[in-house]
Amino acid sequence: MSEAKMNIALDRSNKALSLENEKIAIEVKNWNLYYGDKQALSNVNMLVPENRVTAFIGPSGCGKSTLLRCFNRMNDLIDIVSVEGKMALHGDDMYEKQMDVSALRRRVGMVFQKPNPFPKSIYENVCYGLRLQGIKDKALLDETVEWALKSAGLWEEAKDRLDDNALAMSGGQQQRLCIARAIAIKPDVLLLDEPTSALDPISTLAIEELIFELKKDFTILIVTHNMQQAARVSDYTAFMYMGELIEYSSTDNLFTNPKVKRTEDYITGRYG
Amino acid sequence: MKEWLNKGEHWIWLSASTVSISVVLVLSLLAMISYKGLAHFWPHPVYEFNIGSPNGDTTRILGELQETKNKVVVEASGLKTLIPQYLIKMGNRDVFGIDFKWVSSENVQGKMDTLAKDPVVIERYEYGNVYGHFSSFTLNGKTTNDPTQIRSELQVQVAKGKALHSAITSIEKFDMGAVNKHIEDLRFEEKKLRIKGAFTPEDESRLKAERAEFQKTFIAYQAEVKVLYDQKETLGEVAVAISNGQVLRVPVEKVVQFWQPNNMNYVEKLGFFFSSIGHFISEDPREANTEGGIFPAMIGTIVMVLLMTVFVTPMGVVAAIYMREYAKDGLILRLVRISINNLAGVPSIVFGIFGLGFFVYIIGGSIDELFYGYALPSPTFGTPGLLWASLTMALLTLPVVIVSTEEGLSRIPMSLREGGLALGATKSETIWKIVLPMATPAIMTGLILAIARAAGEVAPLMLVGVVKLAPELPIDSVAPFIHLDNKFMHLGFHIYDVGFQSPNVEAAQPLVYATSLLLVIIIVSLNLGAITIRNRLREKYKALEN
Repeated sequence: MSEAKMNIALDRSNKALSLENEKIAIEVKNWNLYYGDKQALSNVNMLVPENRVTAFIGPSGCGKSTLLRCFNRMNDLIDIVSVEGKMALHGDDMYEKQMDVSALRRRVGMVFQKPNPFPKSIYENVCYGLRLQGIKDKALLDETVEWALKSAGLWEEAKDRLDDNALAMSGGQQQRLCIARAIAIKPDVLLLDEPTSALDPISTLAIEELIFELKKDFTILIVTHNMQQAARVSDYTAFMYMGELIEYSSTDNLFTNPKVKRTEDYITGRYG
Repeated sequence: MKEWLNKGEHWIWLSASTVSISVVLVLSLLAMISYKGLAHFWPHPVYEFNIGSPNGDTTRILGELQETKNKVVVEASGLKTLIPQYLIKMGNRDVFGIDFKWVSSENVQGKMDTLAKDPVVIERYEYGNVYGHFSSFTLNGKTTNDPTQIRSELQVQVAKGKALHSAITSIEKFDMGAVNKHIEDLRFEEKKLRIKGAFTPEDESRLKAERAEFQKTFIAYQAEVKVLYDQKETLGEVAVAISNGQVLRVPVEKVVQFWQPNNMNYVEKLGFFFSSIGHFISEDPREANTEGGIFPAMIGTIVMVLLMTVFVTPMGVVAAIYMREYAKDGLILRLVRISINNLAGVPSIVFGIFGLGFFVYIIGGSIDELFYGYALPSPTFGTPGLLWASLTMALLTLPVVIVSTEEGLSRIPMSLREGGLALGATKSETIWKIVLPMATPAIMTGLILAIARAAGEVAPLMLVGVVKLAPELPIDSVAPFIHLDNKFMHLGFHIYDVGFQSPNVEAAQPLVYATSLLLVIIIVSLNLGAITIRNRLREKYKALEN
């Protein structure tokens, strides 16, 4: 991607959005990822702005989820994956040898495609990350659980049933619980991997509104199959194709004035 | 017909019939051991009749009908006739020399099933039952001949005798046993000091004083028991006229209980039935295990099985975690898995041999040398015992636990592990706090299978710790409460011993069925306990299944 493309500023919600004016949370440089011999990401360069929603779109298998999972080193779990390049969170090299992966994951929270609450009570789910850090102070836990559930828009529904099993909740509630669980440990960045693909339209709407609220406190990266969703919730959008980052700019710019032919083809529905 | 075959109905019938055959087999097995086992506790009526012999003598028979068989006689005309043969339990072993007698219906004069009038059956601590009629009762030189009075007085005296008996047992077994153990400990202490070369005159006088103290207590207990024994001797004596006309005198102290089956109504019989079952499961065996209860065998079985689960669970679960979560998939892992599966197919007696050779002689022998050197040459752990039996059984059931735990772990969705990791949990935190709790239903399934196998296994146990008669229970009220070095009794071995190694086969037969029934009940209830826990856990994680 050329510097010129990045510098194009567009008016959105009466506010000019430009990466030049943003504080940068994550910096990705010459990023390559291989599954064994097969290259899945090639030469990705991007800057992820702080307190903004950045969406990744692209056809299936384009590598957008793989890239997202690089931001909290989830790909480490797969033995055959190897990476090269540089990825830095607020200037700290995330793939440094001495890096404590657990500490990194506490700074970069993640919510998955399918809601995956633990088979414990709602309360225990939310404070799980805190308990892992050895926090036992009941007052602090109570306070954090309330804050996280309120931030995830779940407090009104859940406050009277905190001791109920989380698995008894509906899918949309479970996904908001997963978001509450992720933000309870106050990460810098929140990764959302197709968070609404398993949900009904009403739950989807609730999550989208939630994303809008959450960007005040967190840097959000979201992978989505749904272009309308990307257009609705994100400030910046990255279009990926065959493991490459084809185009990356402010959302309005990308959707109204795509610079690359492939992007245009994709967003106008010619393939994908 | 062709249409029927085309529809595949015959496959439904075939598979359904195999299921029904299995069900029928299981049910008839349970029905048979229940009937044969429980019938033993029912107060059977006592019959009285005469049999003639070829030389013209007649013998009076008084006893219970134990079994009827038909002898088939083929006459010259080709006609077959069935001649019933009766097995009569006559008791009075000390007089007749045998308890049981086969009687052919050809020799019976009159009817065989004539109920005797007011017969009495007395169960004794030695020589089995007495069958006869009350003749007299003597207490403190006073003699009564009235049967009703004999009955009521005997009842009172037998109850007193029982109380004395349990008081004596409790002193001899627990109090005197504890003192003996203290004296033994002192002896070992002296031996230990001598081996160290640190046996000083002060030690000697101290030990001597302590020993004297214990001996004093022991003598006091002895005196106490002596008084009780003397009391027992003055409980009186009942005289019973037995079938050959002889009068048998039975001291009350030898009487366990007595009953008059032909005079009992249905409710009384039912009461007797349940109290007999109670005696059976709560008392020690007598007369080379052919009489009395099976309490120690029951306790031995349960303790051994529980101890085995304590050993096998952590071992199996941790091994499964390594294989499923940490080990790299490859040839070696596959070989290990195959070996574990094959281990489940090794004959159990081989495990017994291994347990004896490795656990008992090598490990037990080393433990004795290292920690119990003062007691040598008499072994402490270098001899078959509860610990080694449980460990051998744990080894035998290890494959089952590993395989089902692995299966359980593999069913936990990846997304949950990722959920844990994404919150900053390390891999081991994720495994121990999220994955393993959810695999507990599968672990319980493995344990259920392990319990079923271990409780029913006999062959290896005979080599590593089970004995015909253990003087002490493996658990008691003396610290450390569970005695891992003790030998113990086991229901499975008890069945084999009573049924096939006993001098009195007829007497033992109903006990074999009753013991089998109890063994089945114990296994079923241990399993039911585990199944209940598993179902509760499953309920908790149910929503994950979809």
